[in-house]
Amino acid sequence: MAQDSVDFSSHYQFWMQKLSVWEHASTSETQQDTCLHLPRFQEFLRQMYEVLKELNSSTIIERFPTIGQLLAKTCWNPFILAFDESQKILIWCLCCLINKEPQNSEESKLNSWTRGLLSQILSAFRFDTKEVELFIQSLGYTPEDYCPGLLKNMVLSLASELRENHLNGFNTQRRMVPEKIRFLSRICIPLVTLPDIEPLVEALLTYHGHETQEVLWPEFFDAVNEAFLLKKISLPTSAVVCLWLRHLPSLEKATLHLFEKLISSERNFLRRIEYFLKDSLLPEAACHPAIFRIVDEMFRYVLLETDGAPEVLAAIQVFTQCFVEALEKKNKQLKFTLKTYFPYASPSLVMVLLQHPKEIPQELWLQTLKHISEMLREIVEDQTHRSYGGPFECWFLFIHFGVWADIAAEQLVMSETESSEALLWLLAFSYNPRDGSLQRAKIMVELKAALIHLKKLFRSPTLSAKDLQAVAAESPDRDPRPALCQQLSRRLLLNFLLWAPGGHAIAWEVITLEETSGSGGGEISPAQSSCFSLLLLLALFLDHNNSQVAPTDEITHEIIGFLDQTLYRWDHLCEEAPRSRKLARELLAELHASSTSPLNVGRGCRDQDP
Amino acid sequence: MESLLQQLERFSEVLAVSRTAAVSAWGPAAVRRAVQWARYLRRAHGRLRAALEGRRRAGPRLGAWGGRDVVLSARLLGNRALGAAAHRCLLRLLFPGPAAPPAPAAAPAAALQARLARLARRRGAVRLLLRGGPAEDAALRTQAELLLRRLRDGPAGGLLDGLWARAPRAAFLRAAAAALLLDPAGPAPGGLLRWLLGRADALAALCRDLPAARLAALAARHPALRRAYLRQLARWGCRLRYDLPSGRWEAAAPAQDAAHVSWAELRGRFLSLARAPPPLKDAALAALEAWSARDGAFRVRGLSVWTDLLLALGPGAAASAGVAWPGPARSPEHAHLPK
Repeated sequence: MAQDSVDFSSHYQFWMQKLSVWEHASTSETQQDTCLHLPRFQEFLRQMYEVLKELNSSTIIERFPTIGQLLAKTCWNPFILAFDESQKILIWCLCCLINKEPQNSEESKLNSWTRGLLSQILSAFRFDTKEVELFIQSLGYTPEDYCPGLLKNMVLSLASELRENHLNGFNTQRRMVPEKIRFLSRICIPLVTLPDIEPLVEALLTYHGHETQEVLWPEFFDAVNEAFLLKKISLPTSAVVCLWLRHLPSLEKATLHLFEKLISSERNFLRRIEYFLKDSLLPEAACHPAIFRIVDEMFRYVLLETDGAPEVLAAIQVFTQCFVEALEKKNKQLKFTLKTYFPYASPSLVMVLLQHPKEIPQELWLQTLKHISEMLREIVEDQTHRSYGGPFECWFLFIHFGVWADIAAEQLVMSETESSEALLWLLAFSYNPRDGSLQRAKIMVELKAALIHLKKLFRSPTLSAKDLQAVAAESPDRDPRPALCQQLSRRLLLNFLLWAPGGHAIAWEVITLEETSGSGGGEISPAQSSCFSLLLLLALFLDHNNSQVAPTDEITHEIIGFLDQTLYRWDHLCEEAPRSRKLARELLAELHASSTSPLNVGRGCRDQDP
Repeated sequence: MESLLQQLERFSEVLAVSRTAAVSAWGPAAVRRAVQWARYLRRAHGRLRAALEGRRRAGPRLGAWGGRDVVLSARLLGNRALGAAAHRCLLRLLFPGPAAPPAPAAAPAAALQARLARLARRRGAVRLLLRGGPAEDAALRTQAELLLRRLRDGPAGGLLDGLWARAPRAAFLRAAAAALLLDPAGPAPGGLLRWLLGRADALAALCRDLPAARLAALAARHPALRRAYLRQLARWGCRLRYDLPSGRWEAAAPAQDAAHVSWAELRGRFLSLARAPPPLKDAALAALEAWSARDGAFRVRGLSVWTDLLLALGPGAAASAGVAWPGPARSPEHAHLPK
């Protein structure tokens, strides 16, 4: 407590000094300094109110003899009064100063003086002339009616002056001088969250002058960006894009703000990610190549820092999808060539990847995938193609359009013919681009073997968990497979479960296994045990050497992610498959219910929507 | 509804008193009642307004009641005559402090506090913006908007007569002109225009006091005003006589004619009309043409003020009006000069 009051009095001294320096707020330096300190000063005012409200007036004067000066200087500073809630807190502080029972003339005078200050803030309004004042009165209106209208008209007039500025061309007499524009940007800083001022903010952001250097204050951009991110101001997208194009730190902050939302400890469904992305306006802004490149760069950095975390991959994929949607909405006219967005990639590869699977008939998906695979393989394996970057660059480009990898896995499981080498390569590459060709070949062989097993079972209408176990037992003993391989195999198996007619039966058999036989022991809930069984089954199938595997949280997360991604993809491709959908949704719900960590059970699945 | 309107009327008296020294008689209880009354009326007004959405005749001045709680608060706060105890009570009512535990009763108080804070913030905004330079256009526009808003409340004639009698005339005329020029124009100016055309003294004052450019803009926008303006100019012109020794046009009877308009002024008016876009420009030049022809159309200075004005506008003026010089009277409306 004592420490607090020591801190507080040193703050008090600091601000007292500042206020004296700012008193006239006439030079642009003092104005700039004021604007920089506004949020902290408001905090100080809040603290002061908390202190003052516990004391009575005489004690306040005893403890803070100069408080009158401090509050008066605050009243006289229009920047402070215009900022956020400072005027309200100041009024509260002044109210604390009023003495309930003035004992002597000193105290009465103080009361009177305080009243005067309050009236100054709230009621005194100076009209231009006495004449105008009388006219307004005779109309039956008051200064309280006049002031908001005046503000609105001043803002509109300034905004239209700014917008027409470029029409005046080089007629320097009619143009607004750069000093005035800079001045306007400065006084907007405290006012940025006042809705009345929004047309002026918009006009300043979209103002294109003839000056060679940026004419607006950087603090202005900061203030607008902050307010926009906290949703305290509503601006049209074009104005926000102008803001980001003119002030790089704002763009970076906006992207970081988005990342914080996306990559949190809780799991976010893809639908939610899509919502956050569209809400942030970044995909739409990214239609401008400069913005796209910067955001993409930041995504790349996060991807590397998190070592390819699946959440980041998902975010990049959804971001690219929203971005392509936004591009197409702009009348399908690409004002910029593809090369400006992806300068390090082969243009033909980008063209193919940009195609949305929706635009290609399903029969041709296989062909497209093979084409993509060939192109990528060519770039990756051919040493002379270094101009298109190494394997990582290729992979980074590819995961932007990661939906193709998902489709590849599906196609591999569902196709009746022998597994295509190209698709196997694509799948292996998408999971680990850094593998050497030998390592990759090994993985492809493993996958092929797993697929052969699965295809054998695909046709049979009735399967049981025992069949799968038997199949698993069939395979000869092998060294424990690398984790990557397990991951890939899990994916294939999950696809199998969702698509094979018999797979549905197994999944349900497994899930309802414990429910029908009643809960044994009452320790584990039916849902939990069914998931346990499912995961145990998966583990058994894939790594029969190690029968002690317990379903880890990691694997559960992985499966949840897979199911969410699959449902999301089916929604976007308008994939029918009602039985598969139903199964996927129900599996997802079960896994959520039984999962140990708190999950973000958002609107990940569509329930009754067709 | 009836009782509500009565309450509004009674409250208007309270509001009027709140500005005067009579509040010295108010104690804390009276202040409390006044503020509560204001808050109640605000809520009631909101509901009433919603209910009467479609109807025009919503009773006298219903529109004015929107922000009366703020007005009352501001007036009482600024009124030095209010007693100390009453003032303290007022502060407690208006500024209860940061959000207390949410009680339904507290919500209106918090709302009023927020509105007062917003008013203070807006005032600060105006002060800041004014640092960049005066804002006469915006001020005039605001006055015009308020005038039009008032006109929407009830019949225009009575209100405008009252304003003409009581309000500062110059400010009123400026606001009226701005209202007639508001862009985008609404239906409201109709009543204002009709009244103006019907009141000769107001019209004459408008034509005399406003700057030439503004009148030209008005005449361009409203054809009826254009005709009235030209008639007025004609009247002024007829009062000028040529003084041969000095070679100038001067007032015929300067001692009697308080509303004398000089030759220079007249010329200035016609110059700005001649600079206007075609419909107005043509009408003005055609009028000059017609009057000049009426006077005989002699191309000699000093015989007709209209001829001299045409000459003063420059040889291009007559030609661009598409009228041959000299020519017969074109439009019948300008053929008759007032005596």
